[in-house]
Amino acid sequence: MRDDRVIVVGAGPAGMAAALALAKAGQSALVVDQAPEPGGAVHRAPLPGVRKIGLPEHRRRWSALMDAVAAKGAGIAISCGTAFGGVDATGAVLLTGATTRLLHPRGLILATGARERVQPRPGWTLPGVMTAGALQTTLKRLGKAPAGRVLLAGSGPLLLALAAELTALGNKPLAVVEAARPPLLPALGLPPAYLAEAARYRVRLALAGVPVHYGATVRAIAEGLRVTVDTPAGMRVFDADLLGLHDGIRPNDTGLGGPAPIPVIRAGDCREALGARAAMIDGTRAGQAMAARLAGQPKHAEPAALIRQRRAQALLARLFAHDAPTDLPGDTVLCRCEGRTLDDLRALGPDPTARDLRLTGRFGMGPCQGRFCAEWVATFAGTPDLGRARLPVRPLAIADLLAVPTADSGDLA
Amino acid sequence: MNILWRGQPVSFIPGETVGSALARAGLRDLGPRATGGRHALFCGIGQCQNCLVQIGGRVVEACLTPCADGLAVEPMGGSDAR
Repeated sequence: MRDDRVIVVGAGPAGMAAALALAKAGQSALVVDQAPEPGGAVHRAPLPGVRKIGLPEHRRRWSALMDAVAAKGAGIAISCGTAFGGVDATGAVLLTGATTRLLHPRGLILATGARERVQPRPGWTLPGVMTAGALQTTLKRLGKAPAGRVLLAGSGPLLLALAAELTALGNKPLAVVEAARPPLLPALGLPPAYLAEAARYRVRLALAGVPVHYGATVRAIAEGLRVTVDTPAGMRVFDADLLGLHDGIRPNDTGLGGPAPIPVIRAGDCREALGARAAMIDGTRAGQAMAARLAGQPKHAEPAALIRQRRAQALLARLFAHDAPTDLPGDTVLCRCEGRTLDDLRALGPDPTARDLRLTGRFGMGPCQGRFCAEWVATFAGTPDLGRARLPVRPLAIADLLAVPTADSGDLA
Repeated sequence: MNILWRGQPVSFIPGETVGSALARAGLRDLGPRATGGRHALFCGIGQCQNCLVQIGGRVVEACLTPCADGLAVEPMGGSDAR
């Protein structure tokens, strides 16, 4: 069904800012998100009656944005609980869930945010092992720390932020295991807001007596959870109920490539992982750029603020740089979905092709579509990637495909 | 208000997902996976597909599915799968 709107995938800061910019330019928008409510990751909506957690400056900007969106009325439609299945070569966009339609929009803005990068570790598929982001999502939603002993491990500023949030909510983590040793002096090159945030977290953790082990990595995870950590001062063993892993942020753009006859613009972290502060700015840019494109006008320049955020993120990446794991046990699972190990990879012989990896090795052939394994499989196999992604961009139920109105399917001019 | 997991009541907070309610009840192991290991929450936002459960014969992500009173949730391998 031909639709005069621009579809925006993702109701986080980038998507909502894009929708507002579209509406201000006189272009109608339909924002969809598979989560039950708008907000994305940073502004994950708390349960009814629960106080929102997060930095006050972020909360204020989000409230202001949502107020402005609401003021646009029917110009911006929002459909949550709606999955984006992809856009095909005819410009058909598949939506399933609360809205089940096959639409031909005027344009498509992808604002699917970031995904977490998690290195494979022995035992990382055990229940109780999660991404740090999963713990943070729970915390924001419930307004409470999860119960039990929590250990955080990996690398990156998110670990410190989460550790401080858990501490503030009354369940301080056992420790933070950080692979890098961020040097102090170069860190002073970060924007003041970043430094102030980091300082607050460090002070809170220090006052609560939460150890932060630098230059430390998880060597093994056993049932229990019993986590063995290699630190510069020697091996440590932690008994935890929950282990939050995090090894960085990447654009959540798995499977989003591919030709389409309509304008497709990416916004926010899924275009470039620059964090929350940049997301709204980039969303506005994307909405304006889409409106301009649809009106046949020239492109806008990149906002200066994005350049600042890019520099800040690049510095953070350098501060948290550390060596990748080299000596992973052969029985470590690489592809979680298919249960395929490093040994299974080596059994494919030297220089396996992407095809060998997928069809014989089964790597990346499970329902996560390589989101969590592709990078590691490619690294260990010495190939650039696992091959071209295919539609749908996320698993769909056949029942949902059958529920698409026939009138939609018939409109393939 | 309760959902049912393997036929047993599990209370939930209105607005909560199935994954969240089960986790708070200490039910982190969501049953055996066909390719080995266990279903369980990992990413919490519908990307990893590790928290798959069955509701009314349909496969859904526990972390994306809102709770409803009386919602009967079963492991992927069936109610008897251990």
